[in-house]
Amino acid sequence: MAFEFEFPDIGEGLTEAIVVKWLIDLGEPVGLDEPLVEVETDKAVTEIPAPRAGVLLYQGAAEGGTILVDQLLAVIGEPGESWQPGGGTEPAGEEAPAAPIVGTLSEDADILTGSGPPALPRIRKLAGDLGVDLAAVTGSGPGGRVTEDDVRAAVSTGGGPLERRRLSPTRRAIAEHLTKSWREIPHVVTYGSADASAALAARAAAEGDTPPLEALLIAALVPLLRDYPEFNATLQGDDLVLKHFYDIGIAVDTPDGLMVAVVRDAADRTLDDLGNEIRRLAAGARERTLGAADLRGATFTLSNIGAVGGRYGTPIIPYGTTAILSVGRADPEPVVIDDEVVVGRRFPLSLAYDHRVIDGALGRRFMGAVVHAVESIGV
Amino acid sequence: MPEVTIAQALNMALDEALATDPTVLILGEDVGATGGVFRITDGLQHRHGAERVVDTPVAESGIVGAAFGLAITGMRPVAEIQFLGFAYPAYDQLVSHVSRIRNRSRHRFTAPLVVRIPYGGGIGAAEHHSESSEAILAHTPGLKVVVASRPYDAKGLLAAAIADPDPVIFLEPIRSYRAVKEEIPDQPYLVPIGEAGIEREGSDVTLVGYGAAMRDVRRAADRLAEGGVAAEVIDLRTLVPLDAATLVSSVTKTGRAVIVQEGHRTAGFAAEVVARLQEDALYSLLAPIERVTGWDTVVPLRRGEQHYIPDADRIVAAARRTLEA
Amino acid sequence: MPREPLQILAPDGTITAEPPIGIDETRRLYRAMVAGRLYDRKCTALQKQGRLATYAPFQGQEAAQIGAAAVLRPEDWMVATYRDAAAMWLQGYPWLNLILGRTGDERGGQAPDGVNVLPPSITVGAHMIHAVGLAWGERLQGRDRVAMTFFGDGATSEGDFHEAMNFAAVYGTATVFICQNNGWAISLPRERQTVAETIADKAVGYGMPGEYVDGNDLFAMYAVAAAAVDRARRGEGPTLIEALTYRVGPHTTADDPGRYRNQAEADAWAARDPLERVRRYLEKEGAWDAAWQEAIEADEGDLIEAAVAEAEAIAEPGVADVFDFMFADRPSHLDHQIELLQRDRGAGRA
Repeated sequence: MAFEFEFPDIGEGLTEAIVVKWLIDLGEPVGLDEPLVEVETDKAVTEIPAPRAGVLLYQGAAEGGTILVDQLLAVIGEPGESWQPGGGTEPAGEEAPAAPIVGTLSEDADILTGSGPPALPRIRKLAGDLGVDLAAVTGSGPGGRVTEDDVRAAVSTGGGPLERRRLSPTRRAIAEHLTKSWREIPHVVTYGSADASAALAARAAAEGDTPPLEALLIAALVPLLRDYPEFNATLQGDDLVLKHFYDIGIAVDTPDGLMVAVVRDAADRTLDDLGNEIRRLAAGARERTLGAADLRGATFTLSNIGAVGGRYGTPIIPYGTTAILSVGRADPEPVVIDDEVVVGRRFPLSLAYDHRVIDGALGRRFMGAVVHAVESIGV
Repeated sequence: MPEVTIAQALNMALDEALATDPTVLILGEDVGATGGVFRITDGLQHRHGAERVVDTPVAESGIVGAAFGLAITGMRPVAEIQFLGFAYPAYDQLVSHVSRIRNRSRHRFTAPLVVRIPYGGGIGAAEHHSESSEAILAHTPGLKVVVASRPYDAKGLLAAAIADPDPVIFLEPIRSYRAVKEEIPDQPYLVPIGEAGIEREGSDVTLVGYGAAMRDVRRAADRLAEGGVAAEVIDLRTLVPLDAATLVSSVTKTGRAVIVQEGHRTAGFAAEVVARLQEDALYSLLAPIERVTGWDTVVPLRRGEQHYIPDADRIVAAARRTLEA
Repeated sequence: MPREPLQILAPDGTITAEPPIGIDETRRLYRAMVAGRLYDRKCTALQKQGRLATYAPFQGQEAAQIGAAAVLRPEDWMVATYRDAAAMWLQGYPWLNLILGRTGDERGGQAPDGVNVLPPSITVGAHMIHAVGLAWGERLQGRDRVAMTFFGDGATSEGDFHEAMNFAAVYGTATVFICQNNGWAISLPRERQTVAETIADKAVGYGMPGEYVDGNDLFAMYAVAAAAVDRARRGEGPTLIEALTYRVGPHTTADDPGRYRNQAEADAWAARDPLERVRRYLEKEGAWDAAWQEAIEADEGDLIEAAVAEAEAIAEPGVADVFDFMFADRPSHLDHQIELLQRDRGAGRA
């Protein structure tokens, strides 16, 4: 098998050489490492030895001719062997000259200042993700830079003024909690109203500090929860867990949002005791001094929305319980007594319950009992 | 105009400098009769005499240190170090003396010398013969660093370097010495130091390179063009002082950039180019800037060199990534 | 009157003093010199066939290398250069490693366990000081190993030569400096490298002995090197030996001596060939004949050819060969770079 010998780069970066003299004629034998041809490169005149013993079958260039690096220089084979060109590697040849320099600095101020509003790469990516055309956005950042808010505003409004506020941790917790209740609990809300005159009279008649309305209401409601245990319970999987203790949540308004504080063991407390505890919780909530023990684990919740002027509502059941009662403000209103329209005061009542465990009839019965109990306060 | 190689163009520039300026002299190992290991000074000693083309003992620190003294007296020495990997003994002279004398003496003494150094791999040479440690030189305050990639620039930049009032390190890409040919004027001319060259205009992506890597940058631009991508090709030509204006102008237009360097990756010169672009062209960027570099390894010897030297494949891949970002 | 180098064996094969070794050892070292020359010729041919990277021949310097290396114990240190393959090989560095290195493969640098030979120095002049540290370290650890370093006349111009000589003398290390003055540092002749009469004279300034020896004389080299090594091993400090020899070939295969030196000079030195000198001596002593010459050339040549075949058969270096020898454990930034390399390799063609 003939050996094809390509001219190597023998001088650190050479590309070609001139063949000075062939030291072996075509068809003549040559020994291993025996000088085969003398070449002249840019660096040296030197002899190239044969890489194989055999007979010289081909000379890649005539004396005085140029041989390129990687071009076939010689073929060495067996005596009598024939060899046809064509299988050799193409020489590297000359590289095309580099393109001319077409310029250096473009002194065009317009190019240097760029086009379109400046925006950081992260903002460009956001705009791309949201389909916002940055060219149509006016930047509000330093130097007219487009900010993340600018991009988001361009998506949601097409351009009106917006203010963006990050939720407080408390608010984010409330939001998460309410979302979970609303998503998981099928709410039914039933309404009623109760004559407030007895309760109001009882408050007015109280000795010492006027008891909070919540204290009177809790005292009236706790006995009902014994009779209607489904409303003081929690649903765990396939089980309804009835609670024979009464920790009543009350909604308290705080600078951070509406929170539910818990009156523990409400059934065991006197009216005065309930009043003191409710005052403590309300103050603690406002001053952010309540601990986790005061804020968790209500078995039933009472929301006095009347304190902030509300009447009827659609309260959301605290997660982990089955019902919530909101009590609105007892404003003077026309009421009918013995077919006569007179001015009276009634509490608007809104009861939300978990429809998975409490059906409508039970809900109505409980509401009837609530009305009766409220109207019986102090009687 | 004659078509010449980079090696021939450099020889022309040196010949013209010796012929026109009597203060010019060449010194280095084997620069005389043998014409230097790459034959860049071929014939110069014969034409201009052994007093002006001086063979030195084997002492790189001595060559640069002596050139420093020669330059202070008013001579214009052009020193040759045989390979960049042999220049390290001279670094103390470069870093501690050549680069500082103007500042130390408040302009009283200056060292307008040129140190020519072949650099880069791709010829399967021995260890230390394939270094691309130009970042170390560029990092040294007070040195100008010039890298030619083609015959026209090689001649004009070397003439400018010899005329420059400050020390210039003139790097010559070994594997391009004889591989790149171009027609150039046979009259003297200058290519200004500090100006990058835009070799090819394009709107899609800017390819930035210098020295030996330019051959692969050009190949990559050709291949991108076959795929319909118009690459703008910039040859830095001077590393220090860097022509940031040309770079920023181009990247402001294209929004995409690929920087190619054969040197090691960490703290390489491409990192400086990337930093400068993010400072001055960040708001124009449409994609992360790509670096195509050698690795943080010793430059492999002949058989392993293919794993190291950036090639057109890697440049094209990087350019395509910027276009897909 | 110019100083004459120490000579025991004249070019005509006659001796002027008692040889330091007997006939058997002379035959062994002659055979080693023959092996060195065969290796040198083979590598020169391989380079011109495109199978080796640039090669630096040492033809004519076999006696300087073999004569000096022969006096070492196997555990002694050697720090040599790209032109010292014969010395390294005699100290245990295999032909395979030497050839692999010349093909451009880092695996050639991995000396076998127990062979205390550093990979050949490629830069000029920086390595001699290493032989000072090696000898110093051995002494600190209670061992009497000697460190021998080889370098050329050109290396004596590098600043590091001064530092190595001075340190060795100041610390009295067991270092033997072998300067093969082969007349030429690429194109610069010795008389323009230094105007000192001899390189050996430089030892005076450092306070150590300087020996001036005919480097083409196996016996003189052996005798002087043995004395220096014994002295070093006894703890009496370093010695500089200037071996006057001649680089018959080019600096490397990329060099053309015809550009700068007269062929007549090389021809004159060919008459002082170190191998021929020993051959004549052995022949006179009845210890050489053509059949033996043919036999040792065949045997040593076969070993070299086998090493070439093995070097060329080894798998091409992979990515791991590039990255895995930088640190004891490959750091994360190199892991990252391997990922980049593999991601982009050939990707531009996709």
